[in-house]
Amino acid sequence: MNKIVVEGLKYKYPLSDTLALDDLSFQVKEGEFIGIIGKNSAGKSTLCQALVGLVPHFYKGAYGGKVFIDGLEVKNQTIADISLKVGMVFQNPFTQVTGSKMTVYEEIAFGLENIGIPRSEMIARIDYVLDLLKIEQVKDQNPFDLSGGQMQRMAIASIIAMKPDILVLDEPTSQLDPAGSEEVFQAIQSLSKQGITIILAEHKMEKVALYCHRVLLLDDGKMVDINTPGKIFSRGDLEQHGVAAPVYTRVCKELGVRKAGTSEFPVTLAEAESVLRGRKI
Amino acid sequence: MIKVSDLSFSYRKGTPVLSGINLELDQRSTAIIGQNGAGKTTFVKLLKGLLKADEGDIFVNNHHVKETTAAELAKTIGLVFQNPNDQMFKRTVLDEVMFGPLNIKMDKQQAKENALMAIRMVDLQGKLDINPHDLSLSEKKLLCIAAIVAMDPDIIILDEPTIAQDHAGKEKIKQIIKALKDKNKLVMTIIHDMDFVAENFERTIVFNEGKVLLDGDTRQVFSQKDMLKKAHVEPPGITQLAEMLGIQETILTVEEFIHRNKEAARD
Amino acid sequence: MKSISLYVDKESFIHDFDPITKLLYILFALFLPLILLSFTVSFISVGVSIVLLMAAGVIRKTIPVFSFVFLVLITVVIIQGLFRPENETILFQIGPLAMYKEGLLYALTITLRVMNIVSAFLILVLTTKPSDLVETLVRKGMSPRIGYVIVSVFQIIPEMMASMSTITDAQRARGMETEGKLSVRMKAFLPLLGPVILGALINTKERALALEVRGFNSHVPKTYLYEEKTHALSKWVQAILLLLLVGAGVWRIFG
Repeated sequence: MNKIVVEGLKYKYPLSDTLALDDLSFQVKEGEFIGIIGKNSAGKSTLCQALVGLVPHFYKGAYGGKVFIDGLEVKNQTIADISLKVGMVFQNPFTQVTGSKMTVYEEIAFGLENIGIPRSEMIARIDYVLDLLKIEQVKDQNPFDLSGGQMQRMAIASIIAMKPDILVLDEPTSQLDPAGSEEVFQAIQSLSKQGITIILAEHKMEKVALYCHRVLLLDDGKMVDINTPGKIFSRGDLEQHGVAAPVYTRVCKELGVRKAGTSEFPVTLAEAESVLRGRKI
Repeated sequence: MIKVSDLSFSYRKGTPVLSGINLELDQRSTAIIGQNGAGKTTFVKLLKGLLKADEGDIFVNNHHVKETTAAELAKTIGLVFQNPNDQMFKRTVLDEVMFGPLNIKMDKQQAKENALMAIRMVDLQGKLDINPHDLSLSEKKLLCIAAIVAMDPDIIILDEPTIAQDHAGKEKIKQIIKALKDKNKLVMTIIHDMDFVAENFERTIVFNEGKVLLDGDTRQVFSQKDMLKKAHVEPPGITQLAEMLGIQETILTVEEFIHRNKEAARD
Repeated sequence: MKSISLYVDKESFIHDFDPITKLLYILFALFLPLILLSFTVSFISVGVSIVLLMAAGVIRKTIPVFSFVFLVLITVVIIQGLFRPENETILFQIGPLAMYKEGLLYALTITLRVMNIVSAFLILVLTTKPSDLVETLVRKGMSPRIGYVIVSVFQIIPEMMASMSTITDAQRARGMETEGKLSVRMKAFLPLLGPVILGALINTKERALALEVRGFNSHVPKTYLYEEKTHALSKWVQAILLLLLVGAGVWRIFG
């Protein structure tokens, strides 16, 4: 079943002359894990925000085409209503902390209070997400005292507690150290395994290749392609679109080694290892 | 160029952030890596005289850092902060870059010359009269590098220059580091991107829990898998691949890997 | 995490009372002496507040506040004692300066009133979490948006102070002197203020986005993580305070 349907989506920010999103069309099935890649200002963040209704409701601006989430058209819903279906996590862990709550536990409750979840249900949900994102041990700390990785997991927990079917993440690990990013990627992957549909804008191609079912390549607001990581990263014109393939793919491209029986190059460490094993190096 | 002996520092008594650091830094481009909270940023702030050491001494080009003000040190050692929004306030790109040189009493003509040279180095020459706030985040980061380069210090420290940069941005930073090296500057960088470290830095220092865990040629550092694990540092992807394939020596870049493969094919 | 709130996290029966009762107590302490116009009542009222502050275990935290208030009040005492126009009766003399009884009595009244209000306020401020106070007011009908702004200020201002120190470092790294003579500090003002304001604006926009996706503007009636704080005795205390106030008013008018 299609969870997200985007049809001819066009968008221009107010005070801007150029289209930030230019005629995008694609569908996402329930439970899929989609990566969005592209150079800076290709439209990744804008697309993420269009899926949760911040585009156009928060920014206004010129909007054309349609985005359906579970059959509901984003343009005709309020952000608060859409937030029950799609949650979004942003780049900067700091600015996602509301600043109005004294503990992690209360912070996670913030969204639930807003959407009117009864108290007993609220507590059950908070306990569940604390466990799911492995931040149980910091639940009584002040949100601002957490490490970057913990703070970002708290942001994800706050969103997941609202029980969306879809989670959109805009470069959630760009400001974290390697250990912090790994914590966050593990968390995202476990959510994906639970059947939540994931949309992830990301620069770290090795991670995209490892976790995503399909990858959407954007350039100048246009969709270049949406396909499996193998197909996308095997394209010959990636560099022209401002993207470098994972290091494993680059090596295999240079060596001209493809995955057995396909025209694709390996995209992960494991794939590269298996095709190169036994070669004389 | 920099000599650090028995350096210790703490923000609060009893919880040392750095302890017993001994380092000598030379012309080699140097990457400083390690987890958040390992003391990397504190260390460079000490070098720059923005913090005062509890114990130990730092000499930067024969200046005793303790006895020199941060403003005076600015002529010798430059530090580019992680977040460009923490420093920009001028109305044009050119003015922003000229602010530092004028601060250290460079004459106006010289300041402008230096600024233009630095702006060319980071490839923003087309945007001299633009308001810095209208630049993209990755351009802002390049602008902040230029603002330091224009002061012409012998040592330039970059804090996380590759964050928010895409492929093209990283290529630019690679070029900038190379250009600075060609001018005999010491370039030091705090960085989490190991692939970038492997490709661009001669020397790597690993900080862990306020101490120097590893220090040496980048290749030698990335060969010490177990020690890296201790500091929660993952070697570059290509290094891991080479190791899994049983290659004895430590491979740092795709080019090396390919080169080695060709050699092997010839044998 | 440093917060600019004065709240002292302790357990006491004063802490257990709801913010509304404490607000009512402030009104009571403010109006009772005004209605009755009596020294004794003011004295008793201040005494009661101080006993309550001790019972809550927060009396030590009041010392800096009271010290500051006294500093201001001493000038009042001196000026009124020396120069009040109604001054007639000399109490004592130091050199050419004479202290008068009328002025001192008047200063004493002011001192008592200020002490009275400050101590009643301190009960509220020192024993109530700002977020609890605001949550109570939101339950009573205050806009959640205004409530959010009030509470978040307590945490976001310290955050801004922290960013201020990063900005200072960033500009010092560019050779700017930030210490020393006034003229030097003045020159440093713009390079510091610009980034602070801009940073705050950027953060505000980002935070607004993050709040939106957490249903901040939802029209569904809000629910609360914590049950409304009430004390078994709240209703009684509130009733007695009101009764005393009304009684005092009646006594004043007809007595």
